[in-house]
Amino acid sequence: MAVSLRESVARVSDPRNLDASVEEVFRLMLGIECRREAGLATVENESVTAVVGFGGLLSGACVFRSGARTALKIAAQMTGMEFDSIDDTVKDGIGEICNMLAGAWKGKVPELAANCGLSVPAVITGRDYNLHVQAPEFQLHHGYRFDEEVFEVTIVCDGLQ
Amino acid sequence: MSEIRALIVDDSSVMRKIVERALRQAGLDALVVHEAGTGTEGLELLKAKSVDLILSDINMPAMDGLEFLRQIRAQNLAEGVPVVMITTESSEEHVKEAIEAGAQGYIRKPFTAEQVKERVLPLVRAA
Repeated sequence: MAVSLRESVARVSDPRNLDASVEEVFRLMLGIECRREAGLATVENESVTAVVGFGGLLSGACVFRSGARTALKIAAQMTGMEFDSIDDTVKDGIGEICNMLAGAWKGKVPELAANCGLSVPAVITGRDYNLHVQAPEFQLHHGYRFDEEVFEVTIVCDGLQ
Repeated sequence: MSEIRALIVDDSSVMRKIVERALRQAGLDALVVHEAGTGTEGLELLKAKSVDLILSDINMPAMDGLEFLRQIRAQNLAEGVPVVMITTESSEEHVKEAIEAGAQGYIRKPFTAEQVKERVLPLVRAA
């Protein structure tokens, strides 16, 4: 029988799955306890965005976005190195964080774990840009904080089979 | 433990460093690491160098980790060398596919050094 999640949007879009995924990835890979912000994080203009696409049973993307300072701090925590600019290693590290967030999030729903693939991460840097998806099936858009740093994680679903 | 030569295959240089650090934290102090950013590079390295352990990501551009693993077996490279897949893919189906392709171990990202120790050290000792 073909697997379908059409009748399970509420389960797939449960916001607790995203919070648990963020906490898990940051605790295990960075040793950082981060917490959900009630509102969205205000990310500085100079920002780093990583995108990992979903394909298969669910199509869409996982998007990580932070300011440059937060990205540098995350990369430093991952590698044990210090960075003063958004170089290729920082972009690589942020892309991997997004990859693990996407994997952890889809892993919370068994049907997605088995039937939803991930793209390799793409990383965008710059100022004053917005991500826009026309009429998504659902969207989770959460802000998080650790120490003085803030970041956002978005799950956009534009198709669910 | 005597010197261990490990091949780490991941398109992310940061992840390769994190895996290396986890191996050292697991007790593999005398570690010689060879790194490859693609499955193709990994195969070339295996033709030129002997290794005792292979750790590979699955989700990589061009040649994914499962195809890399199948090529290792098809070309009789690294016979008897344990291969551990390290990946964000966590379903039973993915684990089964990796084992069928010839992997001896499977570690899901995100991981702890303790998990690396539990999954990798027994394989290195048994090899």
